[in-house]
Amino acid sequence: MDFQSVASSTGFVIGALCGLVPLAVAIRKRTLRPGIVGFLACVLSGFACNVWGGLPMIVLTVAVVVSYTYTDKEDPFLSRARLEEVNFEETLGAMVTRRLASLGRAIRAGTRALLRNKAGFLGFVGLAFFFVLTIFGPMLIEYDGKSHYYDRREPGAISLFQGPSREFPLGLDWQGRDILSHIVHGGRALIVTAVQAGALTTVIAVILGASAALLGGFLDRLLNAVANFILTIPQFPLLVVLAGLISFQDRFYLALLLAVLDWPSLMRAVRAQVLSLRERDYVEAAVVLDLGLPHIMLREVLPQMVSYISINMIFSIQGAMYAIVGLVFLGMVPFNEPDWGVMIFMGRSQGALFSSSAASMLLSPVIAVALFQLSLVLFTRSLEEVFNPRLRTGL
Amino acid sequence: MSQNPSGQPLIALEGVYRTFRQGRERVPVLQDINLAVGENEIVCLVGESGCGKTTTGRIMVDLLEPSAGTVLYKGRPLAALRGKDKVEQRRALQIIHQDPFASLNPSHTVGQILSFPLKRHRMAQGRGGVRRRIWELLTLVDLTPPGDLVNKYPHQLSGGQRQRVSIARALTVEPKLIVADEAVSMVDVSIRVSLLKMLHGLRDQLGVAIVFITHDLALAKYFAWEGRIAVMYLGRIVEIGPTPDVIANPAHPYTRALISAIPEADPEVTRNKQRMILRSEDIPRLTDIPPGCAFHPRCPFFVPGLCDARVPPLERAGGFAQSVACLPLTEGLGLREHVSVEEPVVGP
Repeated sequence: MDFQSVASSTGFVIGALCGLVPLAVAIRKRTLRPGIVGFLACVLSGFACNVWGGLPMIVLTVAVVVSYTYTDKEDPFLSRARLEEVNFEETLGAMVTRRLASLGRAIRAGTRALLRNKAGFLGFVGLAFFFVLTIFGPMLIEYDGKSHYYDRREPGAISLFQGPSREFPLGLDWQGRDILSHIVHGGRALIVTAVQAGALTTVIAVILGASAALLGGFLDRLLNAVANFILTIPQFPLLVVLAGLISFQDRFYLALLLAVLDWPSLMRAVRAQVLSLRERDYVEAAVVLDLGLPHIMLREVLPQMVSYISINMIFSIQGAMYAIVGLVFLGMVPFNEPDWGVMIFMGRSQGALFSSSAASMLLSPVIAVALFQLSLVLFTRSLEEVFNPRLRTGL
Repeated sequence: MSQNPSGQPLIALEGVYRTFRQGRERVPVLQDINLAVGENEIVCLVGESGCGKTTTGRIMVDLLEPSAGTVLYKGRPLAALRGKDKVEQRRALQIIHQDPFASLNPSHTVGQILSFPLKRHRMAQGRGGVRRRIWELLTLVDLTPPGDLVNKYPHQLSGGQRQRVSIARALTVEPKLIVADEAVSMVDVSIRVSLLKMLHGLRDQLGVAIVFITHDLALAKYFAWEGRIAVMYLGRIVEIGPTPDVIANPAHPYTRALISAIPEADPEVTRNKQRMILRSEDIPRLTDIPPGCAFHPRCPFFVPGLCDARVPPLERAGGFAQSVACLPLTEGLGLREHVSVEEPVVGP
């Protein structure tokens, strides 16, 4: 996959066409600057990520630009007018614009909350860096798998475990391959599997926790018993044994196994939260207003838990990543190069520990994993600010 | 009592009991409550904390089921309502909670809070209908200009504003009865009167009935002058009748004690006012309700052998417009001061 195949001229054209929306809105409202910025953002995202990949980006851009240009006068909900002075009938176009504007305002408030916490912002930058690294990096840096540009290297054994040089910033590995290219290409599978595992854990835990709390009775007791049982088992040894028994050619099944072992603690926390939240007065009010169980679960109870759940999801992503790297390091999972875990395993088994010039072979993947984990943990600081309206909007 | 065309009161509790379990103990919170509320009526439930007023209110709006007895909505038991009728009943009976800080979901804006029931029950037509209705409701509860508030989160509002929002939320479904559970007790005194006036205005404008739960007899007197007052003590209604009669001519000794405790605006009057002296200041525990009339250990008019022997029925007594649960009154003995300060010595 190279840069050309992703960035397409069709994406460019459609991105430019989408960019006309913020531009037109902005010109009509005589605020040119956000319009131009919006236009450029749309063109770029269309170009870089193709149309479909760039679509969310384009929508967000349009929304933000519209929210800047959509002045208070337009929306009766923002005006200080009295009831008689407001016209509530609006055209479809006006409604779409209003919806876009309120989405844009929400995005801006979220972004502001994200920027407010310095540690959290640092984590966000770190995550964005790894995102760019794993998505766009492979387009720019070729994977050095078969050592096909040997001609640039010293012949023979000298190029094995070579230290960092101008040409190879992270040095060469035990086969004389470029470590930087392995770092760039080796993160994607690991991160994707870890995120899958974290997301699955969260979904299982939230569904089981909520149903245990709401339905109670036998199901509640059963789920609690199962959760307690799984919690008492030492996780990692069990994982090692299972990984030895099952073949994980498809990494998704590894994610599934991690999720199956990881859900109990979050499930118990979710259960406790739902039990406490469902007694709140506003839930009672929703019952009396006959808003229905789906509304009560999704709109009244869940928003109170979003920050807690997402923070826990990040912790389980973190745990899953360590578990995967650990399994790969122990050699319990089939190797798929390139992979950070495989790099650590190979570095150790090929004797990189005993040569100072080979330090990069071990340190690079270790630092990559550690930095990614650090970014995740720091990012949780911001999540609370983003999801809590009290922190998001201020007084 | 005003009645609707079908001749049935809007909501009627008939012989309602409610017990809660506390560990192994069963705590009788409500005993034999009979209370009917007609359309557009104001009823005040008055009593000290723990007397079961809130439980009564929650049973009225179908948040709690009675342990025994029935609740009738327009003559039909709540438990028997299904489908459309159930939805109608749910919408007809609304409650306003005591704590305005807990009754609004902190993650929704005022506009969202009001739009959920409007959309769910299709209470507004057309594209701008929901927004127009929200605007109207906010104007109705004196939150003007509405544009200032609609996109605010509850934490950005004052207690009084929040309470108005939760009243507006109850009004979204066009209810027939609103149970205001200590609705003004957690609001600043300065805002209390305007809130009460607004509630009163809603009754006149929209024709809703209001059950006003309070521990403050002075407030009940102010709010329910055209309605009735029900005085509760330890899970039973001890006196019920038109407000002016209950206030001016209280029958039950407990009501008399409450009224004599209301401070008057004139310090001269307050100083010279005869306060009724109870025989005991302690409220019995709900797990250990005295036999007979629950008030007898504190009652200054206690008649030994009568009051502690049987539970007084809620009946009309001679000389009073209201019903009262006091045996000396309903049996026509009248109230006389119980003279012995010591407990009567029983035995040889």
